[in-house]
Amino acid sequence: MVRVGDKLIGYATDPDVRSRGASGGLVTAVLAAALEKGLVEGVVVLKRIDEYEAIPVITDDVQEVLASGGSMHAVPVNLAKYAAGRKIAMPGKPCDVRGVIEQAKRNGVDLESTYIVGLNCGGTMHPVVTREMLVRMYETDPEDVAGEEIEKGKLIFRTKDGEEKAISIDELEDAGYGRRENCRYCTVKIPTSADLACGNWGVIGEVAGSATFCEVMNEKGKRLLDNAIDVGFVEVRPADGKAIAIREKVNSAMLKLGDEWKERVFTGIPDQERLTYYMEQFADCIHCGACKEVCPVCTCGEDSKCTMFHSLADNYRMSMYHMVRLLHLSDSCIGCGQCSDVCPVDIPVTSIFRRFADPAQKKRNYEPGMDLTRPPFLEVMLK
Amino acid sequence: MKESIYTTVCPGCSIGCGLYIRESDKGAVSVDFLKSSPVNLGKLCRFGMRLPHYYSRLVSGKAEGQDCGTEDAVRAAASRLKGAGKIAMLSVGNTTCEEHIAFMKLAETLGTVVHTGIPVYAQLPPECHPHLEGMPFIDIENAEKIVLFIDPYVQYPLLVRRLLAAKRNGAYIISAGRTELHLAHENRKLSPEQCAELDLDSGSLIITDVHPHTDPCHIQQLLNIALDTGARLQVMKPFVNSEGADRLAKSRAGMMGISQIMSGIERGDIRTLVLLDSDPVELMPDTSRAVEVLKKLEDLIVISSRDSPVNAIADVVIATEPLYRKKGTFINAEGKLQENSGQGIDGIDAISMLSRELGADGFDHRQVHGYLHERMIETLASENRKPEYCRMECGTVPAQQNGACTLEYMYNPFMWFSQPDDNGFVLLDRGMVKSLRLKKGGTVRLDSEKGSMDMRYKVEKVPEGTILTGRKLPIATATVTKIKAEGC
Repeated sequence: MVRVGDKLIGYATDPDVRSRGASGGLVTAVLAAALEKGLVEGVVVLKRIDEYEAIPVITDDVQEVLASGGSMHAVPVNLAKYAAGRKIAMPGKPCDVRGVIEQAKRNGVDLESTYIVGLNCGGTMHPVVTREMLVRMYETDPEDVAGEEIEKGKLIFRTKDGEEKAISIDELEDAGYGRRENCRYCTVKIPTSADLACGNWGVIGEVAGSATFCEVMNEKGKRLLDNAIDVGFVEVRPADGKAIAIREKVNSAMLKLGDEWKERVFTGIPDQERLTYYMEQFADCIHCGACKEVCPVCTCGEDSKCTMFHSLADNYRMSMYHMVRLLHLSDSCIGCGQCSDVCPVDIPVTSIFRRFADPAQKKRNYEPGMDLTRPPFLEVMLK
Repeated sequence: MKESIYTTVCPGCSIGCGLYIRESDKGAVSVDFLKSSPVNLGKLCRFGMRLPHYYSRLVSGKAEGQDCGTEDAVRAAASRLKGAGKIAMLSVGNTTCEEHIAFMKLAETLGTVVHTGIPVYAQLPPECHPHLEGMPFIDIENAEKIVLFIDPYVQYPLLVRRLLAAKRNGAYIISAGRTELHLAHENRKLSPEQCAELDLDSGSLIITDVHPHTDPCHIQQLLNIALDTGARLQVMKPFVNSEGADRLAKSRAGMMGISQIMSGIERGDIRTLVLLDSDPVELMPDTSRAVEVLKKLEDLIVISSRDSPVNAIADVVIATEPLYRKKGTFINAEGKLQENSGQGIDGIDAISMLSRELGADGFDHRQVHGYLHERMIETLASENRKPEYCRMECGTVPAQQNGACTLEYMYNPFMWFSQPDDNGFVLLDRGMVKSLRLKKGGTVRLDSEKGSMDMRYKVEKVPEGTILTGRKLPIATATVTKIKAEGC
């Protein structure tokens, strides 16, 4: 039996799952065990299409979970939307987890029946940009790539013939490649608001590359892991002090980098230029609504103020759609980057929303998606 | 909890945006983002985001007013086609290359050709046709000067990001369209012949489109400009596989536009019309008139993957699977071959069955796909072509009549299909608002010979006396309709 707060090293007992998993297959095995024992009705997995493409599917088939894509840096989807209204388990980067929690605050998700296995995340990359980066920076045919990993500040690609090429993330990002912009300034790298927080940071020695560091964050996490151990899907042992220290050191380094990027991206705008700035940023908007559709913290559905107050026939200098969304998301935007990804005219929507939300969230010392104890501050203010 | 996921392209226009369609076991359809698609990086416009509505209109087979299955519909169609004369066949490119080829084989059996509905090709010398074929969209981003004869925000929204990238790369952008574009450095009311004033050269790019109602003079003039200056032409097209349908055409010499087909029906030169995923009721500016004309046909046979207005007046409807489920390929406006992940072959099988009923050989997907490879795969990756045609004598594009008030339909690929949208308004200029004493938030009354309607309006910088609409309005008689406007 594990306890809340335990920091463990674990892996899947099935040798095949362990060898296919990026870090010993523990996450896959925990999710499969939850399904096997009826803890949940379905599991969200990434169905792998190729190295750069996977699509989220919800499955009730244990074998499909065991065969799923695992963690893929070049598949920047947010899984929170897939959790709504279902009794499921899901893996999740910090932004996936934060999306689910913000939805739970707005009654979009029932957290009692949703299990989240969090994955450490240093950032994700856009698949098309990644392909271009492979050709230009790595001089590698994207079709030859068999795997990738981020380690010690470097992005490493492994080719089918076993060759590895590593380039520092700083160098890649200076050249306009590497992680998506929102990932660079993200300030949550270990998903401590998930039920389990897993990753390869702190996995050292003989198990490096074949085991997962797993922290039990709450009672649900304990239930998940106990269940997986009971059915014999995973084995765990306590992490030693050195492993814990290394995990913390990697996290601190990543957070420091995130803060530096934040300073670079969010340069100040003089008060008198703010309106012009926001008007200009959204001037090319074609009102497709995709940014709302993909937003993992938006639970309004069809009856939303941003669309009700907006009409294409309006002649306002800035559309009500954006005005309402800027305000609405000021207490909930987690900076996941989905809106920027899908914007058909390449408006850096996430950065604009984060820029707007950041001062308000800072002022109230409020970080969205981190816990359920604090309600959205706009809701509190309106009451 | 089971669902099927299809990798497909958006049927909205010829850009060919990649996306996923999710289909639940109860038939509900939703869209997901295919971020690895190099054409659009998973991004979609308003039409793409509303595809579940587009795909919600399921088609069912019918013959002689009765619902029926495919076999009965095919037999009924064959019975009408046997011995029928004065047949016309239309496929504008709303389906896969493979189905279009199958339709062309059927046309051979019937001793006719498949028309693609765009009249420009028939009116240009054949040596010009390759210059209307697409070029890689990335070339837009690398152009030095770009002249736009389209409104990309409304007509081809996924071009906007390419144009903005071009602008970041230093391109100078001139809009020659009817509305002022935010992304343009310069908005000028230019006719094609005035392009000569723009100092274009081989680093320049002209973006226009061809659709069923394009004035051939417009394209002739732009081809002349390209010849004189070395500027390149990117010609956008309205339908998902317009480029494929165009490239597959054996000869464009006798190719009829949709308007010509409708005139042929009115004159009695066409008595039987066979349509493959092409609806003249949607495509003609005057909907009610189009229905009247089609009712004059002796035989109206529709092969369709979706319910559309023409189905209601067809004698026979052969229903096929929705586009995203079809096994097959498309060619987008940059000449890129794209493939559906679906494995549906109902459409090809139905056309093959019809062919056999008419006494000819049948065919399967493998055969028609093989024909596609034979015909054109090697031509897809075409190099930047140097103009190899002679300068054309051409008329002038009709100028705007000063003083007269006209309603202009901005031919918009996305609004033909009764999509729920909030673009139910017209654009007019501030001068007209003042002269008609229109009230803020009010409506403008538009009168044409077809009737009267009140519309909300938005103030834009549009040419004096022009009222623009992004949606086909019931009072329109053509793409440009003379109207009277008054405040109400």
